[in-house]
Amino acid sequence: MSRPLDTSLPRLATGCRWSGEGESRMLLFPEGALRVRDTGHAILQRCDGQHTFQQIVEQLQALYQADAAKIREDVAGFLDRLQQKRVVDF
Amino acid sequence: MLPAPLALIAEITHRCPLHCVYCSNPLQLTAAASELSTEDWIRVVQQAGKLGVLHLHLSGGEPLARIDLTELVSAAHAAGLYTNLITSGIGLSPSRLDCLVKAGLDHIQLSFQGSRENDADDIAGTRAHALKTELAPLIRKSGVAFTLNFVVHRKNLDHLEEIISFAESLQPDRLEIANVQYYGWGLRNRDALLPTRQQVEDSMRVIAAAEQKLAGRMRIDAVPPDYYARFPKPCMGGWGQRLMLIDPSGQALPCHAAGVIPGLQFDSVREHPLQWIWRESPAFQKFRGETWMPEPCRSCDRRGEDFGGCRCQAFLLTGDATATDPVCSLAPAHQLVDAELLRVNSSTGSTPASLDAPRDQLRESPSKSPDWWSYRPHPG
Repeated sequence: MSRPLDTSLPRLATGCRWSGEGESRMLLFPEGALRVRDTGHAILQRCDGQHTFQQIVEQLQALYQADAAKIREDVAGFLDRLQQKRVVDF
Repeated sequence: MLPAPLALIAEITHRCPLHCVYCSNPLQLTAAASELSTEDWIRVVQQAGKLGVLHLHLSGGEPLARIDLTELVSAAHAAGLYTNLITSGIGLSPSRLDCLVKAGLDHIQLSFQGSRENDADDIAGTRAHALKTELAPLIRKSGVAFTLNFVVHRKNLDHLEEIISFAESLQPDRLEIANVQYYGWGLRNRDALLPTRQQVEDSMRVIAAAEQKLAGRMRIDAVPPDYYARFPKPCMGGWGQRLMLIDPSGQALPCHAAGVIPGLQFDSVREHPLQWIWRESPAFQKFRGETWMPEPCRSCDRRGEDFGGCRCQAFLLTGDATATDPVCSLAPAHQLVDAELLRVNSSTGSTPASLDAPRDQLRESPSKSPDWWSYRPHPG
């Protein structure tokens, strides 16, 4: 487990890229693809290497009316899982 | 409705400077003169994009043997396909790599025959190891996703720790450790390649430790030898379900080995659009779904997960392509596999009983989420 730090800059991993538009928007990576919707999409579209983990969490806390600590935990867990699969880096 | 294939495997040539003893190509290769033209391939990748295919795997033979490779990558990129080059590296100069990356290549999968130069060159039948080692840093720097593929078997499985350390030194994003599959040349040479039970068990421990150590840095995908599994592999994600392969002459096949099954007629992209072949070609419909299944598959709870295993392996081992894959512990013909395991393990005194579903431990099973797709563009 390697959770992102507040100052981490989450970004799509090498060779991972977006494809398609709207409902059919997907992340493509070696030998796999991920259809991202709703919160997953909201997180990943901010993973551009420009926003810090802290900024991403704050933006999502403003976007969703859920418990702030839970949002932070969910985003960290989501990014950690995708990093294990080499879909994001931070 | 039938979903589009996730990936198209384009075997653009059978020409290859290597002659690996476990090559997955058919024993009867397509001659260079019968290969599809550049225009044919460009039409095929454009049709693939329209059909909704996500990934294109440029394979062979050695795809770099085609001088129009950059042109094909360009066309695939323009058609919206995620493009992977499966290569031995022979023929990949720095300038050619640069052209391919500029054309939109997304991923390179570089194959190694081992971590030791002499042994690896023996397997490949040519001096290729040193060149591959020199290429790795160039690929790493090129900005494309980088996978290393090591084919393992009885002769090199004891060096797995060394192989993983060697791979780590080349800094790929992903390492694939694939046991030889017993088709084509692999089946011919099975007696020399099938690992012992002890080797397989040891390799599982080595891989589990490496996965833990390298988590987040290098992903490891391991393909265990299905002869030791309790249940068969979900070969190609099910016949005609997820993948489509075009051979050098333009024939469309549901998998690499499908040509061994007698009576199948493969339609050609020279005569039919890809979309028609995917939906209508009799070869793709032959084992699609469950109506062809014999018992015990037909009533098995796992039939939606492993689809009765591999049709080609069933044919190669039993002579009947509709048989349950003999590697399955429930298969009527399972004794054929047990007999092989007994032979290879007799000197070590261990019993040939199936491992406790090694692939369940070794291999990340596809997520149950309908939004997450992963597959292997090879048998296994």
